[in-house]
Amino acid sequence: MILRRIQLENFRQFMGKQSLPLDVSSDRVVTLLFGANGAGKTTLLNAFTWCLYGDLSHDIEHPERLVTDLVWQSASVGEEVPISVELEFEHEGDLYRAQRATRLRKEEGVRRQLSPDFKLWVIKNGQSETISAPQQKMESILPQHLSRFFFFNGERIEKLVEAKAYAEVKKDINALLGLEQVERSLLHLPKLERKLGAELRKHGGEQAAEIQEQIEAKEDELRKTRTEREHLRDSLASLSEEFENVRELLLQHAAAGPLQAQRDQAQEQFDSARRDLEKHQLEYKHLVGTRGYLAFVKTLTEQVADLAEGLHERGSLPAPLKRDFVDSLIEDSRCICGTDLATGTAALRHVEDWRARAGLAEVEAAWQRLDGEVKRVEEARSELRRQLKELAAEQQNDRDRKARWEGELTELQAKVKKIPVEEVARLEAKREQLQERISDANQNIGAAEVQIEGLQADIATLRNDLKAAEISDAVAEKARKRLNLVSSIDDALRAILRIRSAEMQARLDAKVKEVFAQVNVKAHYPELSENFELGLYERHPDGTVLPAPKSTGENQILSLSFVAAVSQLAREVAQSREGGSGSGEYPIVMDAAFGSLDENYKRDIASALAKIAPQMIVMVSKGQGKGEVIDQLSPHCNHLGVIVEHTSNPAKESEKFDWGGFEYPYIDSGAERNWSELLEVPL
Amino acid sequence: MREGKGVENTRSETEIIAGLDPQAKDLLKRVLEIERARVHLKVSDSETVDELYAAVREIAP
Repeated sequence: MILRRIQLENFRQFMGKQSLPLDVSSDRVVTLLFGANGAGKTTLLNAFTWCLYGDLSHDIEHPERLVTDLVWQSASVGEEVPISVELEFEHEGDLYRAQRATRLRKEEGVRRQLSPDFKLWVIKNGQSETISAPQQKMESILPQHLSRFFFFNGERIEKLVEAKAYAEVKKDINALLGLEQVERSLLHLPKLERKLGAELRKHGGEQAAEIQEQIEAKEDELRKTRTEREHLRDSLASLSEEFENVRELLLQHAAAGPLQAQRDQAQEQFDSARRDLEKHQLEYKHLVGTRGYLAFVKTLTEQVADLAEGLHERGSLPAPLKRDFVDSLIEDSRCICGTDLATGTAALRHVEDWRARAGLAEVEAAWQRLDGEVKRVEEARSELRRQLKELAAEQQNDRDRKARWEGELTELQAKVKKIPVEEVARLEAKREQLQERISDANQNIGAAEVQIEGLQADIATLRNDLKAAEISDAVAEKARKRLNLVSSIDDALRAILRIRSAEMQARLDAKVKEVFAQVNVKAHYPELSENFELGLYERHPDGTVLPAPKSTGENQILSLSFVAAVSQLAREVAQSREGGSGSGEYPIVMDAAFGSLDENYKRDIASALAKIAPQMIVMVSKGQGKGEVIDQLSPHCNHLGVIVEHTSNPAKESEKFDWGGFEYPYIDSGAERNWSELLEVPL
Repeated sequence: MREGKGVENTRSETEIIAGLDPQAKDLLKRVLEIERARVHLKVSDSETVDELYAAVREIAP
């Protein structure tokens, strides 16, 4: 979806019909719009989303007042005032025109507004065709819930990386990256199973019906437990965020800060020891599980070696002689020395005796091979012993480290508690309470996971029982066959979703890191967890990694990096899936784009975004946009504009916007009434 | 295929699909086609389930 033009008619402060071109060229993807505070930047952002979805953001004042005040006031009673926003855009090679329009009828003392009407046309070969289900089509082009990644207020964008938004963000990202059909399948397949299960219960006889009922009961429980686990995860995310805020406040507190810094270091060391211990315990288990049998073969290998050695010592094993060769001599009735081996002769009997002994030679060779194997088994046993000993020592070391840092943490906690400052005591009490709740949440999640595993195992067993159950009815047999089929693809899709989701998370994480690295000058790096928690970390010279303190600016950079990464990945995924044609391309439309970022951050993020997004519409005030932003964006600009504020407020002074040696109005304070104007400035 | 903490999933998507029998493969393809066509559309669940049911009956007559 690439925007080409917007046209407003009496929409909020934009009086009359006004339009602005937004199209892009291959190397000029930016439209930069300057507007004073209150001129209408937020309104313009809302014009896009109102047109496409009929929604205005929560921060817009008096959302019921859609019409320009000036136009409304000058309308006579009985007159209808048109209000509309029209957008032209390209999507997957087609040109579209979207229009949301309404009329406001002026009656004595009341505004009577008709419901806005949404229309969408597709223009093919110069012919415009009306789309019959326009909102549905719009949802298929860019679903409303995903639009928050592409149409946003820069000052509030950090909400995207708030802990409580993770689950929602994960869901949206999955939709954007083409995983929604898998998620939908997983929603519908259990319902299909129910339908087939009902047929089986009806016709399948007592045994099958009973098993099917048990399966359905377990599935209900499984669904319930999964939902509970999701709620617990959401709650854990919120608690963790709250904990992080308290930690940050303690760190910044003059009295508690140094101790909190020590505690952060100790916590990191404790976590590192715990992770190492878990890793070594897992390695130990794996070793025992895969090679532990070697511990029990000592007697067996000793017996084999003794037996082979005894046979040798007794001379029972002759020198090697090939049985096939002796067979050929007997068959030819002539020995290698020329003696005739006729039937019944002593010579034949002698050679036949050799033949029997030659058989033992093969046995000997086998024993010899076995002897080699026995030695290798012995070597493997020694190696296993060495590795287990080593891992046991490492685990002990990890335990010691863990205990040491745990002690350190307890001591530091006691010291923080002794600080005679009320604010510190309050924060510390809150911290402890949150820590406890986080621990409880983790335990409950663990318990839910164990329960889920148990239920899955029970369902698998019951399904096997159902396969074996006796069914004589043909309808029920069909239902059982179909049920097994659906169950098998339900399992497969669940696994596929996990794989694809993990792959997307890894790709998105790499992209966020890539964008962030272009912007941030500090030694921080972002990390996107498997639950789509976006954190910022700092690597210290001693190798420890700690969560980095995030300023508002850093949150904005993090969020903008995330949006840019989402935009880029959506495009890559859509292109690899559908071979291009503009699929997966979405504009980034930002109001108050760079908030209160420092100049160098503004420069870097502006430059990075202009290179990544297929289209960018940036709305800034002169204060936000002049200097680094305009320097970075102007080479990528296809359109430049001013949202001119015409105001009757005598307290406001007129201001100009200077560009290319010319002056353009920015604030016009001599106006009779308040309204705004979209003014295109030649580049 | 477990989703709990203790069991790691090491199979790839290709391996998972290869492990399905031919009828299940056909059904998987069909289910994803049906769902893909309905993504972003406001279609009732029961309507989708009916279409999936028809697909199962067709593939496993």
